[in-house]
Amino acid sequence: MKDLLGLLTATYGPSGNEDPIRELIENEIKDYVDELSTDALGNLIAVKKGNGTGKKVMIAAHMDQIGLIVTGIDDKGFLRFSNIGGVSVLNIINRRVKFKDGTCGVVSYESEIDDIKKLTLQKMYIDIGAKNKEEAAERVEIGDVAVYDAPMFASGDRLSACAMDNRVGCVVAIEALKRVKESDHDLYFVFTVQEELGLRGARTSAYGIMPDIGIALDVTLTGDTPNARRMAIKLGQGPAIKVKDSSVISHPMVKNLMIKRAKEANIPYQLEVLEAGGTDSGAIHLTASGVPSGVISVPCRYVHSGQEMIDLRDMMQATDLLVAILNKDL
Amino acid sequence: MKEFLSKLIEEPGVSGYEEKASQYVAELFSAYCDEVNTDPFYNVYGIKRGSGQESAPRVMVAAHMDEIGLMVKDIDDMGFLRFTSMGGVDQRILLTQEVTVHGKEDLKGIVAALPPHLLSAEEAGKAIKMKDLVIDLGLPADRVRELVEVGDLIRFNSPLVSMQGSFVNGKSIDDRAGVIMQVALMKELDKLKYQAEVCCAATVQEEVGTRGAIIGTYRLEPDIGIAIDVTHGDTPDAPKDFTHDMNKGIVIAMGPNMHPGLTQRLKDTAKEYGIAYQEEVVPGMTGTDARSMQISRAGVPTVLVQIPLRYMHTTVETLNMDHIKEGARLIALFIASLKEGWQEWLTY
Repeated sequence: MKDLLGLLTATYGPSGNEDPIRELIENEIKDYVDELSTDALGNLIAVKKGNGTGKKVMIAAHMDQIGLIVTGIDDKGFLRFSNIGGVSVLNIINRRVKFKDGTCGVVSYESEIDDIKKLTLQKMYIDIGAKNKEEAAERVEIGDVAVYDAPMFASGDRLSACAMDNRVGCVVAIEALKRVKESDHDLYFVFTVQEELGLRGARTSAYGIMPDIGIALDVTLTGDTPNARRMAIKLGQGPAIKVKDSSVISHPMVKNLMIKRAKEANIPYQLEVLEAGGTDSGAIHLTASGVPSGVISVPCRYVHSGQEMIDLRDMMQATDLLVAILNKDL
Repeated sequence: MKEFLSKLIEEPGVSGYEEKASQYVAELFSAYCDEVNTDPFYNVYGIKRGSGQESAPRVMVAAHMDEIGLMVKDIDDMGFLRFTSMGGVDQRILLTQEVTVHGKEDLKGIVAALPPHLLSAEEAGKAIKMKDLVIDLGLPADRVRELVEVGDLIRFNSPLVSMQGSFVNGKSIDDRAGVIMQVALMKELDKLKYQAEVCCAATVQEEVGTRGAIIGTYRLEPDIGIAIDVTHGDTPDAPKDFTHDMNKGIVIAMGPNMHPGLTQRLKDTAKEYGIAYQEEVVPGMTGTDARSMQISRAGVPTVLVQIPLRYMHTTVETLNMDHIKEGARLIALFIASLKEGWQEWLTY
């Protein structure tokens, strides 16, 4: 699982440009599913058929990541950009980024600025080392998107890389998909697009699938760093079963079932009350006449930065929990 | 009606956890409806079938039954609870509130903070932020951990109080008063001849984003929508443009979320029957179910009827009970006026 996570976090796939990451996941799962398709928005939908007695379950993990989209190239070859998803100024200063074709650059800011708190994306640029506008334009076009370039490192069970949000959820989905063998249910594993821009892929794919139950897989924040905002989630204490975030109040039936299955299988878990942030279940549960939905989250520090840290055991136990849920009655 | 309201506000129904309130509402509706259903999210639908044929419209009347509240987000070392809000709780009123924490058992507690004696003069003059408040259950930490966990719900204890005349106050009157107006509407309809199929939906999760109305409207697929909610009543310091007289009738909302032809028809009905009403212009999105009903499926022409309410999102929400009856009568007469050719009111 660790190697797969390393590969996924290093693979390009910002919101709206998910082709490389989708191709990778497609190759990884194609031998394990009954049907595999990509819909009009680019969601990758993998179906494992049940025995006809179960429910239709949508398991969603978004495969997109945040990024920087080029809006202009100045005369000296510096790139101006806007954000794709929740990019904060402080997280990108002097970070290395890469474009789809491998072109790398450094993000920096106009040094005239007197107060770093007043810094906005408009006063920042990407330096790809071009000597002038023409040279820059040969390598990058307006509309191209850069993502963090930060390969994974391990420190014991702690793993750190860019795009843990949400390649972690993708790995959980891929592993569960391989491991679930005898589910009664029709399982729709959806690797969604454009979650970072407002749950867009989940919204349309859920409407297309019309599931009975929705389960999203994503990362969540923690409260275990120095003077952190108070939150009862820690790395290494097990996957989090979401109670609520800004986008969804997990359906009590789904939440309680997750807790029950975790207890039965002796999987440690934490209960997650996330005060700001949302995930794919926010869109899934409001589809058509409503889809009872819940979320399994992997705790993650420094979300939306160039180094997001998780605990490998949380990810593995999240997979165990998902498999335990899908193998039994829903 | 006051008795119904008094009972209804006691029923637990914090957004996302409306099961108990929905059971009470379903029971309440069943006495006046042809059919009552509850969906998997606990939206309750009370259906009354008029005399109309297939061409008669299906009218959805929505009022939300969820209430704002709090949720445990952490338990500290001393056994004090840290909490977050479910819906837009007014944080200025939290200090010293009596609450019930719905743990393994119902536990009484109070919202607490450092006493003023221990604060600097500057700090003492400020409202305390939610992140700095705690709930004290009067129990040792280990016992708290046995009984309470992260994600447990917290409700305010504030029963309905009869004030002078027809005024009442209490918690969750936003929008339980609207649900009671639905019951009053059912009674009014029984006195009238009407053709429409009327579906009164007591919706869930309005306070967190009109979520019950989004799925409920899709389910019902109505021809016409009517939302009932509260709006701001007048208080001495409030700007007149945004508040409404507590004695001059219900408030009909106007703006892009509301269908102009139907809204005019609603006003004409009020004039015809001498029912007092006030007007409110909502240029942006209304903070009500109306905004989600309007854009369901291929679109639903929707109107919004509001009850003036003082001290919204506190535990002393104050309302004039007369407005419930008047609003119900207006909506009933409006529905009864939907006869053959009703589609013409929807044309531009």
